Amino acid sequence: MSSKLSGYASSDVAAEFPPGLKDFNYAPFWDFHVLGVEFAITKLTLLTWLAVVGISVFFLLAVRKPKLVPGRLQWAGESTYGFIRDGMARSMIGDAGVRFAPYLTTLFLFIVANNIYGVIPLAQVSPNAKISLPVVLAILSFVLFNWVGIREHGAKTYFRNLLFPPSVPAWLYPLLTPIEFFSTLVVRPVTLAVRLFANMFAGHLLLLVFTLGGVALLASDNFLFKGFSFFSFLLAIVLSLFEFAVQLVQAYVFTILTASYLQGALAHEH
Amino acid sequence: MADDQPDRGPEWGMNTGWAIVGTLISGMAVWGGAGWLIDWWLGVSFALPIGLVLGAAGAILLIVKRYAHLSDE
Repeated sequence: MSSKLSGYASSDVAAEFPPGLKDFNYAPFWDFHVLGVEFAITKLTLLTWLAVVGISVFFLLAVRKPKLVPGRLQWAGESTYGFIRDGMARSMIGDAGVRFAPYLTTLFLFIVANNIYGVIPLAQVSPNAKISLPVVLAILSFVLFNWVGIREHGAKTYFRNLLFPPSVPAWLYPLLTPIEFFSTLVVRPVTLAVRLFANMFAGHLLLLVFTLGGVALLASDNFLFKGFSFFSFLLAIVLSLFEFAVQLVQAYVFTILTASYLQGALAHEH
Repeated sequence: MADDQPDRGPEWGMNTGWAIVGTLISGMAVWGGAGWLIDWWLGVSFALPIGLVLGAAGAILLIVKRYAHLSDE
């Protein structure tokens, strides 16, 4: 590695133990400015683009020639959409939630695709392991549920119901309104982003520890350490399977919480 | 909302759980934080515990008002 790139992730695995924050910084291979804003295209950017293209192509092919008796691809597309529409949009929000099914399906698949990069060979890192992508997704969901609530009730009623819960006496509002404000408008988007980011970040670090640790043990002069690298690699494999489950669960949790917030924004206070 | 309640799957209970935990933590964070600031400004040490208790009480009140009716269903 040249000294210029010393702050970035390296491809020289044996020299890279212990792993650290540097393993999340990829060297940009394309740098340009648009209107004074710097854009740096890295491996993570490419992976995100690939996810967008992959999901688009999947659904375009799935519905290109819809048949009454679906083929394999059409079946896959329809059952994915049906799973989110019935299992999330309809069961969480009700019949009014079906119009959110396309967004929730896209959100779920986008997060799934970006998460499982963490265990896909050659990719081997999730773009969600940097907080910027989860932040964008959380802002999207945050803006959506507030916008939907304002559209449904009008801005005045929506924020009144949000900040001044009608079922409690008015003299408690000084105590309760700050709590409501904080829990709905601050905690919700922050936890959405941080939960996804932290899971992907920790997962990547965990796999790095045991993979690079195995390499470091194997490269050591001590005979016992060399033998021990077997267990390190074994654990890396087991944890890869575990991470795969975490990646699916986190995508599910992010989507279902978005659906839950939408339901809250649409609901009428009793 | 009462007449068009959707079928509730297991995930519905999970969300209520998340929401309740979120409200509890928010209550203690907001008023505990306010108490901590008062302590820091005035150089005293009693406002933080008072804030924490007040925040937790407020959060519990909010939770009861919002979710207690669910236990009747």
